[in-house]
Amino acid sequence: MVARYALIFVLGIIAILMVSPLILTVFTSLKPTTELVNPAWYPPLDVTIDHYIRVWTEGGFNRYFFNTLLISIVDAAVMIVIASMAAYALVFLKFRGKIWIQILFLIGLMIPVTAIILPLYSIIRSIGLVNTHLGVILADLALAVSVFVFMFTSYFVGIPKALHEAARIDGATEFQIYRRVVMPIAVPAVVTTALLEFLWSWNDLLLRLLLLPRDEMRTLSVGLLNFQGTMTRDVTGLSAGTIIMAVPVVVLFLFFQRHFVRGMTQGAVK
Amino acid sequence: MFLDPESKLYKQLTPVFFLLPAIAIYMVFAIYPTISVIEYSFTDWNGISPERNYIGLANYERLFSDRIFWEAFRNTFVWSGVIIVINVGIGLVLAAMLARVWRARLIIQTAIVLPVVISPMAVATIWRWMYQPTGVVNQVLEAIGLGGFATPWLGSPDVVLYALAFAHSWSTIGLSVIIFLAGLQAVDEDLYEAARVDGANALQSFRFVTLPALRPVTAVVFILTLTQSFKVFDIVWATTQGGPIRFSEILSTYMYKRGALENEYGYGAAIGVSLLVIVSLATLIYMQIQNREER
Repeated sequence: MVARYALIFVLGIIAILMVSPLILTVFTSLKPTTELVNPAWYPPLDVTIDHYIRVWTEGGFNRYFFNTLLISIVDAAVMIVIASMAAYALVFLKFRGKIWIQILFLIGLMIPVTAIILPLYSIIRSIGLVNTHLGVILADLALAVSVFVFMFTSYFVGIPKALHEAARIDGATEFQIYRRVVMPIAVPAVVTTALLEFLWSWNDLLLRLLLLPRDEMRTLSVGLLNFQGTMTRDVTGLSAGTIIMAVPVVVLFLFFQRHFVRGMTQGAVK
Repeated sequence: MFLDPESKLYKQLTPVFFLLPAIAIYMVFAIYPTISVIEYSFTDWNGISPERNYIGLANYERLFSDRIFWEAFRNTFVWSGVIIVINVGIGLVLAAMLARVWRARLIIQTAIVLPVVISPMAVATIWRWMYQPTGVVNQVLEAIGLGGFATPWLGSPDVVLYALAFAHSWSTIGLSVIIFLAGLQAVDEDLYEAARVDGANALQSFRFVTLPALRPVTAVVFILTLTQSFKVFDIVWATTQGGPIRFSEILSTYMYKRGALENEYGYGAAIGVSLLVIVSLATLIYMQIQNREER
């Protein structure tokens, strides 16, 4: 019994240490500048949200926030459609060369974005999509689609073939079966896909750094990097910016922890 | 949709209709750049001019004699090594401890996994601030009487790479912990019972029951951590950009500098290909192990 309490105690300390960088950042973002002389673990005595207002309006984080939100939502929504449709074909339809399509998607799991970023940038520039959100969205979709095709495939494989057959005999077209029969069953896979793609999209820096040089188009990641470069000494502003970037995904995580955990273990290769 | 559903053409077109959106985007923005990066690595292209000459293996020959490349290569391995030790070693211990706890488990697990969803850019900002000469880390060391260890973490050549690897591990260890936890749930409870009957203490049952049972999962986490850490760019770029001098230069930052900033596109592509080869091989091994596990 004593050993068990000792274990909980040790784990409790580790848990506090793990969240402390975030807590300290929240503290700093809420402190008036005069309180910065205090050690970082002193909670703010005189809570102020001035830094948030400053960063949100003057720092341009309002624009960055909505740019990021737009890209992430579109990414997640389109990903659900294209990945599930491809997986539907791979699981329920008969056609020649299926194995080659599977191998093609398998290759995608092995390509690190970092390695191909230079030609990816060239292609997007040559079709005139630099400084557009569409360019970033297309690149995001391409680089992650494999993961989600396999996620949907492994989910669809568990759906009884008889269900598909029965709908066919009733005269439904493949698209109707996909839309009305298969997708409603696949809600868990849809949720996982939406959350994971949203998260990846929200958090990415490298692609956005190259593809969105214009300030109006920037996302939070690039905005924060830029802010860090020009306002190095603005500790409170940087903390507020960091928290603005972290809050939406932290909230999503706390609400959908089980889905995240499942998705992150399945999609771990990316 | 106006075709007869029983016609041959309709049956042939249906898979195309379902696959086309994904395949089209994927081919243009993932497969084509992958082929291109290999092709460009054989050229002297600067990324802008219309002129582009094939120069055979010259870029690769240059890689072999490029001291900075080898430094970045070595740093990437050290970086991965540190992260593997933390994420696999400590990750396993944490998971084993968590598995023995019922009360408060969810809260503790949430705290450990939470940093995984934080953007690497935000992680970089937080740790850059904590690692400052007058930052939190040094403040804490002073406060607990270890002021002698205080150092400008990101400014000192000997520790910068380790300090950054630690920050990266902070934000990724949660993933290892949940994979290990899933593995632990599959371990037969009877084995622990048998060990207890034989008089084994907690440490012994960890050593003789948990560890052997988790060997395949450990392999999975190992390879996964390796591939993940090789791909890292954001956190290093947003803190030190590979500095001071080149003490935290890794392959991705070096490639970005050469290819994107210094217009040595062909050469940057060759660095990209070396990254591609290493990560692809590691991922292939990962998928092999996973496959064997599922059977």
